[in-house]
Amino acid sequence: MATKQAHAEAARAERSEELLSPSELFHARSRSHKIPVRGQKEFLPTGSEQQKTHLQKSLQEHWTLVAEERVERLGNLVNAEWIPEEKLVKLQSPAGKFWQTMGFSHCGKQCLLPEEALYLMECGNVQVFYQDLPLSIQEGYERFLSPETVTLHQYQVFGHLKRLGYVVNRFDPSTVPSLYERQLNLPLSRDRQNKQLKRKRSHSPGSRSCEKQTSIPQEDTAVGPCEDVLTGEPHQTIQSKKEQDEPMDSGSHVDRAPERNWWTAASSQSRSMTGLPAALPWDFRLISFPDLGSSRAARTCLAAPDPELLPGALQVGECKMASWLTKLNLKEEKLSRRERERQRERDRYKRSVNDDREVRRCTNWAEYLELMKKRRRQRCKERPAHLWEKDVTPLSQPGLCTSHRELLEEVSIIQSSHLLEEASKLPQLDQWRIIFNVYQPDTVADFKKSHPGNPYTRMCVCSFDGPVPDLRVMKQLSFQSADIPVTFAVVDHGDISFYCFKEFKLPSDFY
Amino acid sequence: MDCERPAEDHGTRQNGGAGEGGEAAGAESEGDRERSREPRVNISLVGGTPLLWRAGDIRRVREEDGVVGALVGSLARQPRQNVRLGRPLEILQEEASLLLQRGRAAVQHTHNQEDEESHVKAVEAYQSRLEHSYEEQCVLALEDKKAVLQRVMNAKQNDHTCDEGTEQAMRERLSSLQKGFTLPRSAMAVQLCTARAGFGHCPEEAAFLAADWPMPRDERSETRFRVYRDLRGRGFYLTAAGKFGGDYLVYPGDPLRFHAHFIALCLSMDEQLPLCDVLAVARLGSNVKKTVLLCSPRDSGVEGEVVYSSLQWSGMV
Repeated sequence: MATKQAHAEAARAERSEELLSPSELFHARSRSHKIPVRGQKEFLPTGSEQQKTHLQKSLQEHWTLVAEERVERLGNLVNAEWIPEEKLVKLQSPAGKFWQTMGFSHCGKQCLLPEEALYLMECGNVQVFYQDLPLSIQEGYERFLSPETVTLHQYQVFGHLKRLGYVVNRFDPSTVPSLYERQLNLPLSRDRQNKQLKRKRSHSPGSRSCEKQTSIPQEDTAVGPCEDVLTGEPHQTIQSKKEQDEPMDSGSHVDRAPERNWWTAASSQSRSMTGLPAALPWDFRLISFPDLGSSRAARTCLAAPDPELLPGALQVGECKMASWLTKLNLKEEKLSRRERERQRERDRYKRSVNDDREVRRCTNWAEYLELMKKRRRQRCKERPAHLWEKDVTPLSQPGLCTSHRELLEEVSIIQSSHLLEEASKLPQLDQWRIIFNVYQPDTVADFKKSHPGNPYTRMCVCSFDGPVPDLRVMKQLSFQSADIPVTFAVVDHGDISFYCFKEFKLPSDFY
Repeated sequence: MDCERPAEDHGTRQNGGAGEGGEAAGAESEGDRERSREPRVNISLVGGTPLLWRAGDIRRVREEDGVVGALVGSLARQPRQNVRLGRPLEILQEEASLLLQRGRAAVQHTHNQEDEESHVKAVEAYQSRLEHSYEEQCVLALEDKKAVLQRVMNAKQNDHTCDEGTEQAMRERLSSLQKGFTLPRSAMAVQLCTARAGFGHCPEEAAFLAADWPMPRDERSETRFRVYRDLRGRGFYLTAAGKFGGDYLVYPGDPLRFHAHFIALCLSMDEQLPLCDVLAVARLGSNVKKTVLLCSPRDSGVEGEVVYSSLQWSGMV
């Protein structure tokens, strides 16, 4: 008992040592802000006097730096209060310059996320109170950092980047547009962007899975019944060819964007008319886009749109299409000479499925597959048995490939795969998640919290004790991050190293 | 006053007669009593990571226990840079274990239950402290101002250039300063405490038992711990070596002044290491001008003894 008391007393004495007296506080205002330089290190301790004095000097400087306490003018401090129930810090006096890149408004109050508040405490900008008493930095670490907010490791990365001048905010998966939305070049719905300003608790897995689903149908439609009759069974190759072309494809989507800006105009207009933010992001599985060209004969009347999609009091009934259809330009497409030449060039090597009479006679998918099978059987008969009847068969057939490139594609068994392939279908892992958006320091001047734009990179925090991210994790994270690169910050006892994985395509030297 | 403290500590320990090395077995009780008189080092845990907060503690463990650790907070003097960092000090799990085992440190537990009364008292104490500080700073600021004026007057008198008029004006300013000076409250300097302050509202309880330590005692951490203890016992300074793909960086002297010589890799005796890993780590070691040490604690027999093998790139010409 006695020893315990003695210890408590000693601890109290120790504590008061770190509390500065009024005169120390007063004189701290004029102390130096220089950081002493560390000289060159030496290889071996020789026990020489010179070495000893060097070490003593370095250590003395070190201890002075470490022991120094933060002293600020009361007028320069922003006061705030820690709300443990909501895990955030509410400002009690107007925010300072940091408001440009940090904080958010919540119910008319200026708030800071725990990591932001802690960083600003460390910078001597904010004094946080809890139950009318100021929190020390230590208490800030102990109270603010938790798995529900950010962990110590994540905060170390946050602080490291903030000290370097980067703008860092929490990553919210729901603000990343889905693949489908990006390809349509849809504007981010307003309330979604607002949500980013609002506070973000830990991500709800529900919203994430919903987003994934919306993008699945799109991928499926990419593989149409456009088989090349001549190659027999090229379903696979065609698909992979398509995916190889994908980067170019998405580029052209962007080019096509202006054609679609009627949609942008319409949506912003409708919202300004009602003045109400849309309740939910659109679910494109349930919204049909009328296709007037092809279904001309079938329909004369367009069903009324879902009233939920319309702003407020607007009423839209069925639409008679007869008059519109006469206005449609159904004339045959006229090609320029150049285009015609190109088409002829193409036709010389390829035949459209539709040119094949037998194929045209097929009335459904099953019949078509049957036809293909029949043809394959026929072809097999012409092949030499010693090559084709065993387990191992040639990868290509004579006469099938007309160019070097085609042949190479046929004989390459392992297709190069795109990082994002099938990523949308992978289940979510809890262990890995993106935690921060990072914006470069030179963008700070015109950074807007309401329109942060695309981040420079996104951060995922891990440690050397944990596992190395595998391909599945890579796919998932880069899918989640859309077209923004993901950086891994590896924390090891205060050391932070940054790594990123880059997709690489082996050069192939045909032609 | 900060510099005297460690010397004092040394004195008490020597009187107690319990050296750091030989306390594993017998003299435990006496040594314990002796040590409890000197303040223990407080280890605070944030998410399982041991942190030291008080400058005195950080200095003491470096000077007496050779615990280097890594500073991970913003530096008070210049918070917006990464070259020199400030408190807290993050230490290795092994360092924390060893400090606890030797009874040099205690894990700090905070609990939120506190009675209304003591809280009200704490708030009152804080407020009166603030008020007192303000008053004293007013006095100091006034003196400061007066001293500046006095200096100017003296300088002018020495110059012999000023006439009666200006000197009179100076005197008037001085007296008006005396009467009407107030330090604006916003100019008062306040301290933003780094470590938990004395007026903090959560009473802390120090647990002295190493059993409270949250670190799981699996084979790997046991191996690491024994290697750490042995190398430290030989007088080396150790820091984390994740960036070099090892367990510890081994320094011959204080890391502030000396380069590390070895990268220590902790392996239990029977652990198999793929040859390519050995090659990789040896190659890396030679590239950073360090020797790689494979460190394996002996299975039984002499407690604490570790077998070291060094890997070096040898060029055969």
